[in-house]
Amino acid sequence: MSTGAKKRIMREYNECTADTPAGMKINFDEQNMTEWEILLDGPDQSIYAGGHFKLKMTFPTEYPFKPPVVSFKTKIYHPNVSNDDKGSMCLGMLRADEWKPPNKVVAVLRLIQALLIEPNADDAIEPSIANEYKENRKEFEKNAKDWVKRYAK
Amino acid sequence: MSSPSPIPPPNDRRSSRASSNASQPGPGSSSNATSSLDVASEPSDLLVVGGPPSSPSPLALRASNSPSSKRRKSRVEKIPPDLHLLEYVSPCDSNLVCLICHAPFGKPVRLVCDHYFCRDCLDHAWEAQQDGHKTCPTCRNRVDVDREPLSVPRILENMLDELVVKCPNSRLGCEWSDQRANVQDHVMLYCEYTLVECGSYDCRFPVSQKDFHKGCLHYTVNCEHCHTSLMRRDLEEHQTTACPNKSTSCPHCATEVLRVELKAHIKDVCARAIVPCPGAIVGCTFVAERTEVWLHERSCPMATMAPHFREQQTRLERNEAKLEPLARRVVILEDGLSNITNMLYPANDNASSFPVTNPLDPNNADAFPPAPLVPTPDFRLPPASLHDSLREEVSRIATALTEVEGRASMMIINDGQRFKDELLHTNANINNMRVQLHWLMSTTLQQRTANSASNSTSGRAGSGATASTSAPSGSTTQGAARNRSGAAGPGVTGHSPFRRLSDSTRQDTKL
Repeated sequence: MSTGAKKRIMREYNECTADTPAGMKINFDEQNMTEWEILLDGPDQSIYAGGHFKLKMTFPTEYPFKPPVVSFKTKIYHPNVSNDDKGSMCLGMLRADEWKPPNKVVAVLRLIQALLIEPNADDAIEPSIANEYKENRKEFEKNAKDWVKRYAK
Repeated sequence: MSSPSPIPPPNDRRSSRASSNASQPGPGSSSNATSSLDVASEPSDLLVVGGPPSSPSPLALRASNSPSSKRRKSRVEKIPPDLHLLEYVSPCDSNLVCLICHAPFGKPVRLVCDHYFCRDCLDHAWEAQQDGHKTCPTCRNRVDVDREPLSVPRILENMLDELVVKCPNSRLGCEWSDQRANVQDHVMLYCEYTLVECGSYDCRFPVSQKDFHKGCLHYTVNCEHCHTSLMRRDLEEHQTTACPNKSTSCPHCATEVLRVELKAHIKDVCARAIVPCPGAIVGCTFVAERTEVWLHERSCPMATMAPHFREQQTRLERNEAKLEPLARRVVILEDGLSNITNMLYPANDNASSFPVTNPLDPNNADAFPPAPLVPTPDFRLPPASLHDSLREEVSRIATALTEVEGRASMMIINDGQRFKDELLHTNANINNMRVQLHWLMSTTLQQRTANSASNSTSGRAGSGATASTSAPSGSTTQGAARNRSGAAGPGVTGHSPFRRLSDSTRQDTKL
């Protein structure tokens, strides 16, 4: 990773600490600055309220020309988060062909938070959950709350 | 972030020196001298330790305009500062920031879509675009490679030049900071901390420009205070900041102490060091200089209690440490107990119905499986309850055993009785037979004696009356036939009523 990229990550971190979205905490390791651990509280107005989610954001070597990789370490019942041990999240600006170098990490964090409040079922990674979200919202909310209780307390 | 040294690594320099050598052949004999000198210095690429390598002789210094000194100049080449890595004194206007590196533009360029980037960032971004089309990193507009990137307005460059930056060597101690326009001149010409190659011929280590005139400082010396070996270059810094045996003054009370003892001094002794009240472990929040804390201690109830609390704390910790192995041992013992219980009642069914089978029945030979091998648990200090339960088990086994034994002996007695009865019957029968045999024998004997008596009379009569040869033979056959009838007649026909009688008597005895 080039010095420029490291400087940029450092700047992004400073920007994030200055303007952290509510309910988020970033654990930053000076030694390994390409992996951020993010602690995210379920937004109050969402069905994930009360849950505490752990996320990992990994910056590739080609950053900022390639998007950072976001993955949920805590299991979450969400159409846009893969339901496996990776918990990867890949949509919108995080997609490799959508990513632009000027995008900021703060914007990524805000996107994650917005997705918890309003899942994007049309761009889902888990089709079954997306179907449930579209057709049987009650069941979806019940499952999601159940998972919050089970995994995210 | 480490700012890279403005001098490239030694290898690069060596190769660059070689190329410059090749490109600037010195004229005449002096060039010969250089090349021979070069040959002499080449094997000593290794660092010579133990003493200062000879610094340039006055002769060599005087020959400053010789090609060899030119060559040296080329080795002292400095690298211009990288504008991307400069440290800015104050945060700059966000309009002057490149969206890719998030730092003020280095060499700004403009695209047709009116987006601005550093020239280097744009090149990197285009490198990362695989499909070969160059697009604007912000809006993805196709870039016309022939026309773009465009130059930027002069005013933008001026604003960037006016930004105040620190010297790239600030980490080495340079305190210069000025407008960015001047940074190149500063680093290339004036900064004393810019690294250049050591003045000695056979030394490749970098040295600050300000130390260049001191000759080579890259040899190993021992610090006279702590006997650490280190480079001469680092000695001063070592003695002022690191050497443990050099005395230094306490930052609080200005007492002179050895550096190695400074920490202990501040922690335990220094009268002016800021320390908390000893009652802090039980909640006293008083924090002040040590002398004040001493005064405070006399009145603070928590400080007087602190030693007791500390003692309790250590005792508690000790007990907890002891508790842990005990708990582990209890687990082991419980495991052992459950093993034993399983062995006793394999299916764990009702414990009272101990399987009672006929131990003498060969079909039931495998009713008692061989006792499984049980790993003997660690019974070094069995707690009382475990001991009791084990004892209970053992007594239960003992009663079960006596029960089985009683049943077995009962069965043996019963069977013995039956055998005895049968034996009596057999005996009686045998006696009966013997009686009958006796009777038969006696009848046979009687008949035989009677026969022999008649035989002798008829023989006497035959020899007397007829005296024929056939007579005795006829009489013997007659006698034999009689004999036979005497043996068979009474045995089969004549005595059958007796036998029946005897049969009935035997039945009587049997009943």
